[in-house]
Amino acid sequence: MNEIFDPDWAWSEFQPETETPWNIRTAAHLFRRAGFGATQNQLTTAAAKTPSAVVDELLAGPEPESFRAEMTSLSNAAIATGNVKQLSAWWAYRMFSTPMQLLEKMTLFWHGHFATSAEKVADGRLMLTQNELLRSFAFGDYNYCWRFHAIRNARVSRFRTNRKSHPNENYAREIMELFCLGEGNYTETDIRELARCFTGWEIRREEFRFNRYQHDDGKKTILHQTGDFGGEEGVKIVLAQKSAPEFIATKLVRFFVMDEPAPTVELIAPLALELRNSGMMIQPVLRRIFTSNLFYSPHAVGRKVRSPVELAVGLLRSLQGSTNAFDLAEEMLTLGQGLLYPPSVKGWDGGRTWINSSTLLGRSNLVRTLITNDKTRFGKTTLKQYLAAQKVTNPREIIDYLETVLFAVPVPEAARERVEALMKSRSDGSLIEGLHALCTIPEFQLG
Amino acid sequence: MSHFSRRNFLRSSAAGSAVLTFGGLAPSALQAAAEQSKSERILVVIELQGGNDGLNTVIPIGDETYRRLRPKLAIAKSDSLEISDALAFHSSLRGFADLLEAGRLAILQGVGYPDPNRSHFESMDIWHTCQRKNENRIDGWLGRLLEQSAGEAGGDPTALHLGHDKQPFALMSRKVRVPSIRSLEQFRLHGTEDAQFRKAVQELADARRGEGNDLLNFVQASTSSAISASEKLSSSVKSYSSSVTYPKNGLGEQLQTVAKLIGSGLKTSVYYVTLNGFDTHSQQPDAHAGLLRQLGDSVKAFLDDIDHLKQSDRVAMMCFSEFGRRVEENASAGTDHGTAGPMFMAGATVKSGLIGQLPSLSNLQDGDLRHHTDFRQVYAAVIQNWFQCEAEPILKGKFAAVDVFRDSAKV
Repeated sequence: MNEIFDPDWAWSEFQPETETPWNIRTAAHLFRRAGFGATQNQLTTAAAKTPSAVVDELLAGPEPESFRAEMTSLSNAAIATGNVKQLSAWWAYRMFSTPMQLLEKMTLFWHGHFATSAEKVADGRLMLTQNELLRSFAFGDYNYCWRFHAIRNARVSRFRTNRKSHPNENYAREIMELFCLGEGNYTETDIRELARCFTGWEIRREEFRFNRYQHDDGKKTILHQTGDFGGEEGVKIVLAQKSAPEFIATKLVRFFVMDEPAPTVELIAPLALELRNSGMMIQPVLRRIFTSNLFYSPHAVGRKVRSPVELAVGLLRSLQGSTNAFDLAEEMLTLGQGLLYPPSVKGWDGGRTWINSSTLLGRSNLVRTLITNDKTRFGKTTLKQYLAAQKVTNPREIIDYLETVLFAVPVPEAARERVEALMKSRSDGSLIEGLHALCTIPEFQLG
Repeated sequence: MSHFSRRNFLRSSAAGSAVLTFGGLAPSALQAAAEQSKSERILVVIELQGGNDGLNTVIPIGDETYRRLRPKLAIAKSDSLEISDALAFHSSLRGFADLLEAGRLAILQGVGYPDPNRSHFESMDIWHTCQRKNENRIDGWLGRLLEQSAGEAGGDPTALHLGHDKQPFALMSRKVRVPSIRSLEQFRLHGTEDAQFRKAVQELADARRGEGNDLLNFVQASTSSAISASEKLSSSVKSYSSSVTYPKNGLGEQLQTVAKLIGSGLKTSVYYVTLNGFDTHSQQPDAHAGLLRQLGDSVKAFLDDIDHLKQSDRVAMMCFSEFGRRVEENASAGTDHGTAGPMFMAGATVKSGLIGQLPSLSNLQDGDLRHHTDFRQVYAAVIQNWFQCEAEPILKGKFAAVDVFRDSAKV
């Protein structure tokens, strides 16, 4: 199935109408994508505003000072334990408690893009510095972010001194293939030439340093430009390629809009142009995506496989939940999305690759583990009391309520009846069994 | 003597003479081997992720160019295990050296493909799909193989992937869903000890959804097969016992699980495991030695276990990496991405020894080895000689099979 979308239509501003209205369900879609999820109350409030106003709120910052202060003290405590997994738990906690969901989602996007794993960088302080850096540039200037990233990545990369006699190609390859252009938009010669630009970069006593004696100051030809470039100049040339904004825009569309079909160059063109014209500012492009026709169309709603983080954090946020963050982070790692533990420098592929029989069983098990964990609270109480306070008590009401906040694809009537029958067949524990069974149906995996 | 039984007889006596040379198998087991039907044969694939440095795995031990281009990384002769006058294993590959001595290891040299791609991800995709990026890649070579032999596993999964990585592209198919399992213990749905709940989730997953949402249909089929596979596996792995000690590492544990499943009589024909960490751009020596030890020791233990389970005539193993590494070392005591490298096939049914020459170290292409054997020629041997399937549609082209199986194993 290869649908062709008209790019003008796709990125024009969404006007709610009878066929695609703006209501609680549409608002839930926005929160799931531009964040992790929202409660029934938050959805009702959002549905009374315009989509554009809700998107502005999602993009508005900064984080409240009190929240930042709490996060800083928690991250310091996590680092003091010497266990990077504690930092992973800290980030999970940040995700389910932040008032700025989109900022956190975007930080996750960049983490998958500039993927550095604590598997290789055991130093928690470096991982935290990188994480804070990604958050501070999350909506901002991609090129500017890059200058910092280049240096940070050099810090954490393991070439000690990149000598001019035998330059290490790894970093140059990562930049072209994974961070900026994508496979097919450069040659092997470009990689070798860019690697020469990075000669002289070294790590001494854990600090980045430029060693001019090891720098190859000869002429290099990168992507048809010739000069005696250094590392920063080399990166600048790469970023100025036409394929650079296309590469980022494509990744944003796949991350926020739809898994399939893969966006075409034509579809991406207006976003790539906007990125290029703004000097690679991310915020305007995000705004455009979240207020677009395509984003609210049936091509996008429910057309993404939820990542483990989206699934778990989404479940909590939709029911005002909180839990033991360490256990949660471990569960997400098991399901293939460990925070601070991307599987490779390519990050997470997403889409169908989230799904296999192990992860499907694991995702279902996660739901049960989450709702039965003694540390899990919904609105500071039990799930049963939380729902009862909203006058949701019998199986049918419970299923309808959960469908509104948790499901992007409607629950089929037959499934609704089957879960209802299961719940009615037992006197106690029916809520846990019901929620667990409901979250095992295929529809729940899409978001 | 009918034609069929005479063929059986001839085959088993030919195999028997090989056994006399190498020891190990009782003739009765070989008789059974000859009677195996193709559907009972098993392939175990080990993927080495990151690009294994072939030149420090199967080492041109006396080669001047090798020593000149690798002043820091060249392995000393005293630190290697002899294969031939010119070649030696890295000393950590004791397991492979033992297998070679026992006549159970084929070393296929100079394997690669034309116009090599040096991106891990792209090159891996090429190995997995036998197609290039500009072609419409929707399934993998093993997926297509499984489609040809589908329906012969009697309700068991036709293939299994073990590990926590995403599912290998090689196993993707439009028709066959391959389960991925991290461990047998984790491969079960919580709450299903309650029969009512188990019944409900199975029914909820089995119900077909309508047309129009490919993604939903994919998830539905996957959920349904995941739940039934977990039921199947949890009830089947009870009979396994083994006196073989596996090394305590990830690959060893995965291969032990494979042996358990084979020993319990599962009809699965392809198992897929991975070993990661071969991307040795810097500080290569210790990392590479550790990985090779893990590989050699685990494969040796596994094949011993398979012998012990009297399954060695059914099991062949294949080991590959997405590319070899540059001949010349870099400045970080590591090596960058290269091209051709060695593949390995192991088991009682392979033609043990060296197959093909080491590519020249002086006639390089952009600093990299030139391949002389296409990886699809090795796949062709597996498809035709081992599984008796038709290779051309699976490989999307004609490739002459490498002669890597013993005549007694070919059908």
